[in-house]
Amino acid sequence: MPNITFVQPTGEAVELEAAEGTSLMRAAVSNGVDGIVGECGGQAMCATCHVYVRPEHADGLSEVTEDEDEMLDCTVAERTERSRLGCQIAVGLEHDGIVVDVPSGQV
Amino acid sequence: MSATFHQTTVQRCPVHEGAEPSRLGAAVSGGTAPGESREAPVADWVTLDALHRDPFPLYRRLREEAPVHWIPALNRYLVTSYAACHAIEQDEATFSADERESLMKRAMGHSMLRKDNPEHQRDRDSYGKTLRPATIKKHWNGIFEQNYVDCLRRLKKAGPGADFVWDFAAPYAAENLRLVMGFQNATEADMQRWSQTMIDGTGNYADDPDIWAKSERSSAEVDAAIDEMLPYFKDHPDHSLLSGLASLPIPLEAIRANMKMTIGGGLNEPRDVLATTVWALLREPEQLEAVVADPSLHTAAFEESVRWVAPIGMYPRQVARDTVLEGIRLRRGDRVGVAIGAANRDPAVFEDPESFDIMRPKKPHLAFGGGVHFCAGTWVARAQVAQIAMPRIFDDLPGLRLDESSPAVAGGWVFRGMLEMPVAWD
Repeated sequence: MPNITFVQPTGEAVELEAAEGTSLMRAAVSNGVDGIVGECGGQAMCATCHVYVRPEHADGLSEVTEDEDEMLDCTVAERTERSRLGCQIAVGLEHDGIVVDVPSGQV
Repeated sequence: MSATFHQTTVQRCPVHEGAEPSRLGAAVSGGTAPGESREAPVADWVTLDALHRDPFPLYRRLREEAPVHWIPALNRYLVTSYAACHAIEQDEATFSADERESLMKRAMGHSMLRKDNPEHQRDRDSYGKTLRPATIKKHWNGIFEQNYVDCLRRLKKAGPGADFVWDFAAPYAAENLRLVMGFQNATEADMQRWSQTMIDGTGNYADDPDIWAKSERSSAEVDAAIDEMLPYFKDHPDHSLLSGLASLPIPLEAIRANMKMTIGGGLNEPRDVLATTVWALLREPEQLEAVVADPSLHTAAFEESVRWVAPIGMYPRQVARDTVLEGIRLRRGDRVGVAIGAANRDPAVFEDPESFDIMRPKKPHLAFGGGVHFCAGTWVARAQVAQIAMPRIFDDLPGLRLDESSPAVAGGWVFRGMLEMPVAWD
């Protein structure tokens, strides 16, 4: 099972194993990772599962779709070139070891 | 719009423009953990009348005793803690939206709101981009601004002593919804009548035949209006919901039910949050002064208002398999009411939850629901209320105040909002 690490703004890191094919958001919410809300259950409709993907882990991720792009304009914390919605990233074995930063706020 | 991962343009959402980054939302664990469990206590002291007048003292007493109660007056369980409501929202496999003997199905047909996935998702996807932020910004905000001007003129014409709900908030929300949905063959007054009568059907627990008759009449009128508009939009497409649906291979029955659900949810909710927010600010001069000085705070005022009084205060679910919810046993087939109006005032999550405070630390509230049924109209509501009407109304009506000679009245618990709200201005 792929391993994911969520790094909080405080620097505290939470490492967890996700079922293959699950989304970053779902993995975080079902493991109670602070700061990942996932209000809309994965419809790219709420922008509350915003994460910053570390550049070294960006390769091989699915492209940002138009829907995700417009929701990323609605994040509460600043959007950067590393911004993604966790619900739109399906975690495969090839992403084992991915590290993402949790933003300072989601709502 | 092209979109790649290495997007560098930082274009902020208009709804959040100028807002301060918020503090982190608290994660609240819920879940259906096995282990020690008990039967739900019975709350036979809860009456429909008391809930309608003011549900919040009842919610407080219920929550202090248990997260879930059996309520004889409702003939269902009522869930009042944040953790338990949140757990239900995140677990659609255990808590089905497809409730048996649903009054909503009878009043409006079987809409996406009462379907589980994958059926729900097919219906929801059929709404396309109409309700998404980019379309709102490009197409709807300008229309909402024009409607604001027209409705303000109407309120001013009614003069001091006018009712803010019925002379402004209701026609404003109705006209916005009429155009978003594409009912070019109806009036905002039709929208208001359809919405109220079908919602009354949805809540017709007393099985009143008059209420059913009115609801059925509106339902038939909506069907006729849809039948007339769908062929028109095939040749004259625009950005409305009906126009989008006209080109999709969706059963007419699903279109009709989803549009009726949208008439219900898309009108009363922005109307009620607009009136409740203005009412709350007029009673809190310091907070009013703060938003007038810094209009970016209207976003916070909107979110605090829907936390404080969620316009949709309760929605139903049906238990799909035996489970334990926050220590309370529930069985397959049990019907529950998810009281998000209660969850949003849970002191385990919100400090001093009974007070309206736009400066409170931001945390995720449940007012738009959560999980796959998260309100599809969330961004339309934010745009028309927090972005357009709220920042302008206090400028356009200097000295806006509640009319002390005729006090405002709030009511309801499944749907809650201002019933009467006379206002005056200079």
